[in-house]
Amino acid sequence: MSPNDLLQIRDVGKSFGTTVALEPTSLNIEDGSFVAIVGPSGCGKSTLFNVIAGLLQPDFGEVQLADEVVTGTAGHVGYMLQKDLLMPWRTVEDNITMAARLTRRVTNDDRAEARRVARQYGLGEFLRHYPHALSGGMRQRVAFMRTLVTQHPLLLLDEPFGALDAQTRLEMQQWLLQVWKDAKRTVLFITHDVDESIFLSDRVLVMSPRPGRIIADLVNPLERPRVTDVLTDPIFVDLKREILHLLHGGDA
Amino acid sequence: MRRTVLRNVGIPLLSIALLLLLWEGIVVVFDVKAYIAPRPLAAIQAVTDNWGLLWPLILGTIRETIYGFFYGSLLGFGFAVIMSKVPFLHRMIYPVLVLSQGVPIIALGAPLVLILGFGVTPKIVIVAWIVFFPVTVNTLAGLSHVDQDLLNLARVYGASRWRTFWQIEIPASTTPLFAGLKIGATYAVTGAIIGELASSSSSGESLALYQQHENSNFSTAGVYGVTMVMTVIGISWFLLAVGTEVLATPWQRRSVARRSWRRRDDTVTDSSKVH
Repeated sequence: MSPNDLLQIRDVGKSFGTTVALEPTSLNIEDGSFVAIVGPSGCGKSTLFNVIAGLLQPDFGEVQLADEVVTGTAGHVGYMLQKDLLMPWRTVEDNITMAARLTRRVTNDDRAEARRVARQYGLGEFLRHYPHALSGGMRQRVAFMRTLVTQHPLLLLDEPFGALDAQTRLEMQQWLLQVWKDAKRTVLFITHDVDESIFLSDRVLVMSPRPGRIIADLVNPLERPRVTDVLTDPIFVDLKREILHLLHGGDA
Repeated sequence: MRRTVLRNVGIPLLSIALLLLLWEGIVVVFDVKAYIAPRPLAAIQAVTDNWGLLWPLILGTIRETIYGFFYGSLLGFGFAVIMSKVPFLHRMIYPVLVLSQGVPIIALGAPLVLILGFGVTPKIVIVAWIVFFPVTVNTLAGLSHVDQDLLNLARVYGASRWRTFWQIEIPASTTPLFAGLKIGATYAVTGAIIGELASSSSSGESLALYQQHENSNFSTAGVYGVTMVMTVIGISWFLLAVGTEVLATPWQRRSVARRSWRRRDDTVTDSSKVH
C-alpha cells in the first residue's frame, strides 16, 4: 500500500448463492481523489460499496482504510444513495446531524457545524424546514451534507443524482465539485452516466456484469476546475468513446 | 387560519346539530310516542336533572376507560415490539392474540368477576383486552415496513440497535401507531360499558347499569340521555387521540419547524426570512 492510498481492497469477492456478484477484485484509492465507477446494472458496483461500507461481509479478501483493516465492520465511511433517505420527522438541521444522533449525544458543536456547512452551501434558509418542503435537488444536498459532517475521510456516493432531471443534475455536479474541493475528502462515486463519471472524476473504473469485475482503470487527464465547456473538450470526447466502447463491446 | 378552524370544527358541529334536528323532526312529524323515543331536549334534560347521581358514574366510566386504554395500548405496543424483533415469538404470540379477539367480550365478564371480583379491575381488563389488539396489529405493520435502506444507512454509520429503534423505527411508525391508538380509543368506551354490563353488581355502581335501571323504570328519556352521555365520552376520547397525534407529529402539517423550546441558541436568524 502506497503511503498516499486511503483505501486498499485486496482480492475482495462476493457471491450470492451461485451468482458471482463480484469477482476477486483489488483496488487502491489515493487519498483526496475523486474516483468514478461506471457500469451497467448488476455489475457488482453496489456490492463493492456495501462491502467497503461494512454492510456485507465478503466471502474472501480484505478492506483496509488508512492503517486499519475494516473488513465487514461498519462506522468508517460516509454513505449516500440515490434515495435521499431523509427522515421526514426531522428538520434539515436535525437530518444533517443524524449520524451523530445515531451513535452518541448530539452536541452544540455538531449543530453549529451542521448550520455552518448548510449556510456555506446554500441551505441556510432551510435549516428549520422539514424535508417534504424541499425540492429533489435540495433534498440531495441535505443528504450530502449529512454524509459530509460525519467527518469520515472516505465518502461512498451510489448514484446520488440518478433521480434528478438533467438540468438539476448538472447544477448538483458543479455544486459537488465545489464542496469536494473545499472539504478535501476522498470520493468513490457510482454512476450509470458516462458524462457524469468523466465530468467529476480523476479516474474512472469501468465495470462489467456476470460476473461483476473491473475491466478498465482509466486516468482522467482533464484539468480542474471544470466548467460545462469541458463536456465538448476533445479529451472528454475521446475518454467517453473509450468508456462507451468498453461498456458496449465495440458496437458503440 | 381562522377559516380552517371554522371548516374543521364548524362543519362537523353543524352536521351533529342537523342530526339532532332530524331526530326532533321525526319524533314530531311521525308523532312517536314518548316511551319509544323522546325529543332530544327531553333526553338531555333527563341527564341534567339527574346530574348529581350521574356525575360519579360518568367519572367511573372515564376512569375505567383511561386505565384500560393506558394499559391496553402499552401492552399492545409491547407485543408489537417483541414480535417485530423476535420472529420465533411472533409465530408463537400472534395466534394467541388473534384467539383472544375471538372470545365474545360479553362472555368474558363472568370469569373475570370470579377471578377479580366486582371492583373496577375487571372493567379495566376488558377495556385493555379490546384496545391492545388494533395497537399491536398497526404498530407491528409499521415496524415491519421501515425503509430497509434507511436501516442500512444507520448500520453504515455504526448505530446501535437501541438508537436505531428509537431514532428511526419508532418515529417511522408513528402513523400506523396512531391509527391503532385511534381505533383503540373508539373501542375503549364501548369496552368500558360492556365491562360494566358484564361485571357490575348493583345499579348504583355504573353508567351501564344505571341505564338498565332507567329502562326498567320506563324512563325512556333517561335511557336515551345516558346513551348520549356515553357517546360524548367516546367521541372525546377519540378526539383526544387525534389531538395527541397532531401535537406529536408536527412534520405532517408544517413545512417549517417552530422554534424549539428545548434549544435556546437563537443563532438561526436567517430562518426567519422564509416565513
